[in-house]
Amino acid sequence: MKKRFWRFWPVLAVCAVLIASVLIGVFYFRFISEKIYADSTDHLGEIYGQVNRTFSAFIERNWGLLTNWGQYFEREGEVTRQIADEYILPKQNHWRFTDFYFISESGEGMNIAGETAPFTLSGAWDRLMVQGYASMAGERLPDGTEVTVFAVKPERHMEYEGFGFDAIAMCYTNEDLAADLRVDAFNGQARCFVIHADGTVLLSTQAGGSVFSNYLKYLDGASDLEDGDLRSMRADWEARASGLVNCSIGDEENVIFYEYLGYQDYMLLSVVPQSVVSAGFLTVQETTVKMLVAIFLLLGAGALILVLVRAHRQSRKNRLELQYREMMFDAVSRSLDDIFLMFDVNAMRVDYLSPNVERLLGVKAEDAAADIRVLGTCAVDGDVFIPKDELLAIPAGGSLRRACAYRHQQSGERRWYRMAVYRLMVEEADKFVFVMSDRTQERQMNANLQEALDAAKSANEAKSNFLSNMSHDIRTPMNAIVGFSALLERDADKPEKVREYTRKIAASSRHLLSLINDVLDMSKIESGKTNLNIAAFSLPELLAELSIILTPQAKAKGQSFTTHLKGSPPETLMGDKLRLNQILINLLSNAIKYTPQGGKIEFTVTDLPSPAPQYAKLRFDVRDNGIGMSENFLGEVFSPFAREVNSVTNTIQGTGLGMAITKNLVDLMGGIIQVESKLGEGSLFTVELSFATPEEAGGDGWYRHKISRMLVADDEEDVLSGIRETLRDTGVEVACAAGGVPAVEAALAAHGAGEGFDVILLDWKMPDLSGVEAARQIRERIGGQVPILVLTSYDWADIEEEARAAGINAFMPKPFFASTFFDTIRPLFEAQEVPVPEPAAAPAALKGRRFLAAEDNELNAEILSEMLSLEGAECDLVSNGAEAVKAFNASAPGTYDMILMDVQMPVMNGYEATAAIRAGSHPEAGTIPIVAMTANTFAEDVRRAMDAGMDGHLGKPIDMDAVRALLGRLLEQKDRGERT
Amino acid sequence: MKPGKLLAAALSALMILPLAAGCAGKADGLTILGKKSDLEKTYMVRVFDLYEKATGEKLRVEAVEDGEFEKEAAARFAKGEGPDILLHFHNADLDRFDAEADFLPLNDQPWVSDLTDSARAYCEDADGNLLGLPFWENSVSGCYYNKTILDSLGLDPASTQAEFDMLCEALAGIGKTPVCWPADGCSWMPQFALDPVFADDPATLEALNAGTIDYADIPAVTDMVTWIAGAARSGWFGDDYLKTGWEDISPALSSGEAVMAFIWDTWFYTDFTPGKYTVDDFALMPVFMGTVSEGTYEGGNLNMMMVNKQGGRVDEALAFLAFCAAPENYNAAFDGIATVNCFQGQTTNIQSPMVTAAQGSVAARQRVSTASSRVRGYSAEDTLSALNALLRGKTDIPACVSALDRARKAAIEEGKG
Repeated sequence: MKKRFWRFWPVLAVCAVLIASVLIGVFYFRFISEKIYADSTDHLGEIYGQVNRTFSAFIERNWGLLTNWGQYFEREGEVTRQIADEYILPKQNHWRFTDFYFISESGEGMNIAGETAPFTLSGAWDRLMVQGYASMAGERLPDGTEVTVFAVKPERHMEYEGFGFDAIAMCYTNEDLAADLRVDAFNGQARCFVIHADGTVLLSTQAGGSVFSNYLKYLDGASDLEDGDLRSMRADWEARASGLVNCSIGDEENVIFYEYLGYQDYMLLSVVPQSVVSAGFLTVQETTVKMLVAIFLLLGAGALILVLVRAHRQSRKNRLELQYREMMFDAVSRSLDDIFLMFDVNAMRVDYLSPNVERLLGVKAEDAAADIRVLGTCAVDGDVFIPKDELLAIPAGGSLRRACAYRHQQSGERRWYRMAVYRLMVEEADKFVFVMSDRTQERQMNANLQEALDAAKSANEAKSNFLSNMSHDIRTPMNAIVGFSALLERDADKPEKVREYTRKIAASSRHLLSLINDVLDMSKIESGKTNLNIAAFSLPELLAELSIILTPQAKAKGQSFTTHLKGSPPETLMGDKLRLNQILINLLSNAIKYTPQGGKIEFTVTDLPSPAPQYAKLRFDVRDNGIGMSENFLGEVFSPFAREVNSVTNTIQGTGLGMAITKNLVDLMGGIIQVESKLGEGSLFTVELSFATPEEAGGDGWYRHKISRMLVADDEEDVLSGIRETLRDTGVEVACAAGGVPAVEAALAAHGAGEGFDVILLDWKMPDLSGVEAARQIRERIGGQVPILVLTSYDWADIEEEARAAGINAFMPKPFFASTFFDTIRPLFEAQEVPVPEPAAAPAALKGRRFLAAEDNELNAEILSEMLSLEGAECDLVSNGAEAVKAFNASAPGTYDMILMDVQMPVMNGYEATAAIRAGSHPEAGTIPIVAMTANTFAEDVRRAMDAGMDGHLGKPIDMDAVRALLGRLLEQKDRGERT
Repeated sequence: MKPGKLLAAALSALMILPLAAGCAGKADGLTILGKKSDLEKTYMVRVFDLYEKATGEKLRVEAVEDGEFEKEAAARFAKGEGPDILLHFHNADLDRFDAEADFLPLNDQPWVSDLTDSARAYCEDADGNLLGLPFWENSVSGCYYNKTILDSLGLDPASTQAEFDMLCEALAGIGKTPVCWPADGCSWMPQFALDPVFADDPATLEALNAGTIDYADIPAVTDMVTWIAGAARSGWFGDDYLKTGWEDISPALSSGEAVMAFIWDTWFYTDFTPGKYTVDDFALMPVFMGTVSEGTYEGGNLNMMMVNKQGGRVDEALAFLAFCAAPENYNAAFDGIATVNCFQGQTTNIQSPMVTAAQGSVAARQRVSTASSRVRGYSAEDTLSALNALLRGKTDIPACVSALDRARKAAIEEGKG
């Protein structure tokens, strides 16, 4: 209540001041009014008192004059025209009366000119003629002129030109008299009457005449005076008293003042409109009001100006504060990722929207402001904006919270928000304030954390699995090694048992080694320490090596392994051949491994269109019809340590790292690896890789060997088209036959036409007629001049003898490469039969050689020494690099054929030792082959060894086949005086 | 009327009786054409009866509906099929006829000397030709006021325009309606004010009819319009005068609501229905409408019996007029009829006490009805229409005067056509 009072107290104060002002004003004006009215009425009385006195004097004078003139006539005894003219007319001119009359007792009057007129002297006749008093009366002359007559009766009866008269009179027109009685006071609005006590109007001051015959009657009929008032007034008149009466005539208030005229029963009566009487008051009132209004207006204007100035200042201050706040809020909201908006749900109108909405949601602020539902279109889950009903369900002062995701309309970026809706009453308007707090970073952080957690869990789980697997996988060969070692010791005297146990121990050791290699390789790749060694390599060689490695494995399982080439890829590519080999061997060996006996493995190389001419894009497809993979496992096939568990895989040894290593290597080479598989139906691994292509030297083998026409027979169209594509720009005419029979026919036809082929290339296994049989028929018909080659994906060793007997000159592996072709036919055209070279690692190569071996591990040193000894070689052992350097430097030239150098050794490691040797002064310091023999088997290790000046690299444990191959090759080169 | 003249008239009537009687057997008697309402007047019916009884001749009285009368009559004269006698007022509609060609001047008829001056003046044209025998109820138009009310209020009737204005102001000031002015039924009132303008100054009338001046050139016309507009503005016509008509005059006067009216004496005997006040409460003073200070009265507007000069029975028609002008006949016809004398020998009619009381003033201020009868193209309805447009605020005073002129000229055009 108190609060309410204080809120309205200014209004109450103003009202109180106004009421007080009005009361004071009323009191003041009433006082002034009464005072001025009293003064005005006094003034009225004074004025008409003066009029009364003037008129009385006028009457007195007229009567006095008439009396004198009557006495004059009496003295003359007889009144003639001459006397009248000479005596009266000058008086008439002087006193300006209208006419002079001689009046008889009979009521007839005659003027000096002799004109007669009736005289009644209404009411005053007796007074004049009987009582002999001077009289005054109104009269209407024959011409209608209203006049006032003043008459006296001389002492005796006289005659004027024979007209007997008893009284003489002078008359004034009422108009003239009215002019004399008219007063200028009261703005000329005052009427003045000379009336008889009975109300009869003798004279009126109205201009133009008078229509009032009896003013008492007029007041009776026209005014609001009651009968009592009128009687009282008449009584006053009869009593010859003065008075003042207020009355209303029509709509006008009037003041009536009356006063006895002093003669007969005549009264002087004046009627003045009250508005005129009160004009002074009204003037004062008006002036006072004007002054008060002016004062109030000035005060009001001053107050208004003061209020306006203060309001303006306050408004400016408020506006600036608001502007600053808005600027700050805008700046803050622009830098924040939170969106703010105020919304009127009834009008569906946005009152405020933070300007960052366009940056965060890709929606123009004006569009969203025009229709808030635009924001709903950004919702990721397609939810529309919060429905109106739901908003209205929020109680006043309450809030609603929900999470939502929005997508940036331009970039598509997804952002997560925590939306809080507050329902507020703003100046009695129902408003909703939305605060959309950005939770994207928080969510992403949570997601990353979750992902990291999942990854950690997965890695932990994988490592647990790995350890479990490794425990099993390591224990298995170790068990075999330990077991067979025990058996070996027991059966050492039984050579057959020893050989069997040794073979099994060796097999288990190799498996264990491969297991360790994979683990280490994977570890190396994952740690990011794997680098690619880019160098030119021959695609045909690569494919040939793969065939050599894998064909025996497939053959061992009775599987069909075929290699296809689609298109004509460049034969020389720039890449890491070692890693590419590793990728393809992993895929192909897995295919062989997981394809049952008698299965089919297809290896296809496809030349894909390349985005740039200096690059070749190849796709390697490895397809098998093996056991395939479950759909669940497909998602994990490239994960480390992942192995599908089923009855088949359980029997197959593996680390579960091969595919992960393959995937990582493909990724490292910027390629793509994909897999399609169906359980029980087989798998298809696809690898796409791009290689730079070095500029190839133009070949002219075709011309040199005079090969212009060639017959090619194969039942596979892809093979035929591939060869055609390969030879397209060589000038060689290629005739294709889809089988053995058409090939024979084509060869015979060409021969018959005298246009025999320069070379005939036959597939081995063709359905209608095998290549060997076709060659035999051709040889039988056309002889043995034309070279006939068999093109095959298979190992031709088993049929080589039969084929050569049938007339086949040579074999070449699929797929067809020009370089391979020339390598194959060169001996034939040059008629120099070159025996197939034996592998460089022939055991004989090491015999009689002397090695300097640096090895800090005594056991390894002993094994190496023993193995070289078994090969017929000698070995001087030193225990570190420094000793190796010292021993070499101390040796006479030709003492050692090669230095085998461990890398990790005390005192001086292998790299430093090699560098020291190379930098030494020994005559063979620059030429002595130095081969690393180390457990550091990664490509980087190989490269570092080479960079250190070594000539080769052998990984531990020592594989004697590899040792023989490498050392044999290096020794041969050394023998030829070449630096490797 | 002097005895000699009466004798001559009686002899004339006797002389034509045989002539008229000779025609009694004729199938087609004298043809008399007039407005239906005019021909139904008591004194007209009486004189027709008297004539037919005295002569045995059957009159062919052809009554035309009031609204169609003027056109019908003019058309018949134009086609040479005019009646023997035409009953017509001496007003602007008479311009439809070719007076010189159609009507026989009657200046030399024996009964002319028996006509009162005002009646004779009314029937003469500008050249002094007597156009017809005035046989109609005569009247004095002026300002008839309720003397009872004025007496009760101690007010005198006005003798000047100034006093009249004072009177109006005094009455209006106490809530009375000074003048009854039925805007839709007072078409005759303006002509009262204009009569002295033209009657007192024939040169002005002549110039106006000649077209050398217009109303706008006559200050009195503007004075009249100004006074009417001022009176209306001052409330002297009351508050609702624009909604009142002819039928509202009687109630206004009989109830005392209105104190004065510009009308004629016979109206009190034919159309006034007594109420709180009777005819005895009224008196006559001049009309004051801003033109002449002393005021004016208008003489009667009379129907005239006009002889068709082209008709085949001119003599019989003159004999019929002589019959009507015989004192015994017009006294018989107007017996008990309230009218001012048209004939000096009229004795049986009722003379209005109001007129009698104001006889001196009337004698001094009466004018022949000049405006409506002598101003070419003057139309009471057109005049009222123009004034009402002013009173309704649609025009101002100069425009009203111009409208009066346009209406007058249009009527002249129409009459010529």
